[in-house]
Amino acid sequence: MANTFTRTLAALTGLLMFAAIYMTFVFVPTEAEQGIVQRIFYFHVPCAWVAFAAFGIVAISGIFYLWLGGQIWDDLGYTCAEIGMVFCTLVLVTGSIWARPIWGVWWTWDSRLTTTLILWLLYGGYLMLRAMAGDSPQVARFAAVIGIVAAADVPVIVVSVRLWRTIHPAVLITKQGQHGLTDPRMVATLLVALAAFTALFALLLLIRFASLRTRSRLAALERELNLIDAAAGDL
Amino acid sequence: MAGFVAVLRKDLTLELRGGESTLALVALSILILIVMVFALNPAGGAADAPIAAGALWVAMIFAGMAGAARTVLAERDNGCLRALYLSPLDRGAIFLAKLAAASIFMVVAEAAVVLMLVLFFNLDFDLRLVRMLPALALGLIGFAALATLLAAISGRVHAGDLLMPLLAVPMYVPALIAGVKASAAALGGAQWSAMGQWLRIMIAFDVLFVAAGFILFEHLLGED
Amino acid sequence: MENLGYLGAAYAIIFGVIFLYVIFIQRRQAKLDERMRAMEARLAEVRDHLRRRSAD
Repeated sequence: MANTFTRTLAALTGLLMFAAIYMTFVFVPTEAEQGIVQRIFYFHVPCAWVAFAAFGIVAISGIFYLWLGGQIWDDLGYTCAEIGMVFCTLVLVTGSIWARPIWGVWWTWDSRLTTTLILWLLYGGYLMLRAMAGDSPQVARFAAVIGIVAAADVPVIVVSVRLWRTIHPAVLITKQGQHGLTDPRMVATLLVALAAFTALFALLLLIRFASLRTRSRLAALERELNLIDAAAGDL
Repeated sequence: MAGFVAVLRKDLTLELRGGESTLALVALSILILIVMVFALNPAGGAADAPIAAGALWVAMIFAGMAGAARTVLAERDNGCLRALYLSPLDRGAIFLAKLAAASIFMVVAEAAVVLMLVLFFNLDFDLRLVRMLPALALGLIGFAALATLLAAISGRVHAGDLLMPLLAVPMYVPALIAGVKASAAALGGAQWSAMGQWLRIMIAFDVLFVAAGFILFEHLLGED
Repeated sequence: MENLGYLGAAYAIIFGVIFLYVIFIQRRQAKLDERMRAMEARLAEVRDHLRRRSAD
């Protein structure tokens, strides 16, 4: 049952991704100012969208875990933190590769770059906690709290980083000013790429989530079996 | 309220009898300040205000990381976290008491650091220092809240002492940016109005983390 | 066609990283399957043990 759905989703993702690649490299006109390298944009933005959506789900599942309990919320949060981290890394790397030819630097402490980097560090910490602490209901609660607090911290981070850079204006104007989507074909390409990455996100989420669900059930069974073993030893 | 007073009084009594946390915090803060002086080699005077402010905040967060968490970690070492958890005290009150104790320890350390900062960087004891105090106080409360919240986690997982800075520093970024900016402005001789926006960020940060600790601490105290 | 290298690098990294992540998921899944088999073996053992005890 889940398998048919997963396969359909995988096919859909493949199709959309193929369309997005075609549109990015063939269909869309080259942007006048930045030239060909601007095409990174069509995959850079969808990566950012997936990363932020995933981190949002981490916080929401954290709230549900603390509120309702249930291992399923913890598994969902873990899955999304992991996927969000993958795409956040991609945002930083592709952004850096884009910045080099356009801005002349690999990295600049522009407010958006800085915010993304701090998000990356935040959720890196979250994943380190999960990796180092192992899994138990206690660690799941810790992770839920971190997920919630991190998300609540994001607006404050955004405001502070923006103010930080307004006081010392960056040499560069915002990215928004640089890539105004002048052609409707550009908008279409971006939309298709967004759809493709959303589908990819859903697919990865589905697969990894199922895997983590199995892991949690297995861990619970192992604990139970150990108890039975111990009880059997007593008899 | 009674629970808050009881836990805070216990922590302060313990500290007054042993006094190790605050002393260690003071010593560590001053050491970090000295490291910063060696690393940055400032000329001293008002021109170095941004450097002095930076050194102050580095000393505060890295010493605070080790020191502010002590109020929670001491309970763990004595096996008293469980007792606290089993007690009928309100979890939020326990958090606030731990936060208050950590803040008091940090205030002592920061007083020493500011004193040394004036000496090391050849600053003056004047209004500029006074103007720095609100930012310092707000940053200190925010950090104490964050450290208390995280200590309940890092103190109880494997390799938690490594996790503490990994989690605390990114979360503290807004208050750090605002605090450094406001302190640099104050030490550079700016008026109060120049600090308004930074102080507002720090207030937002403090409210967020004190509230988060107050609400979420019960989920951190529990055991399996 | 200047800067084509940057564009190529960006896309190679995107798909490379996603590919690596899929490999990572797969390897975790393989480990899980292994644990699952060990689990089933242990369960069978316990079942055997119980059956023998009830036969006694």
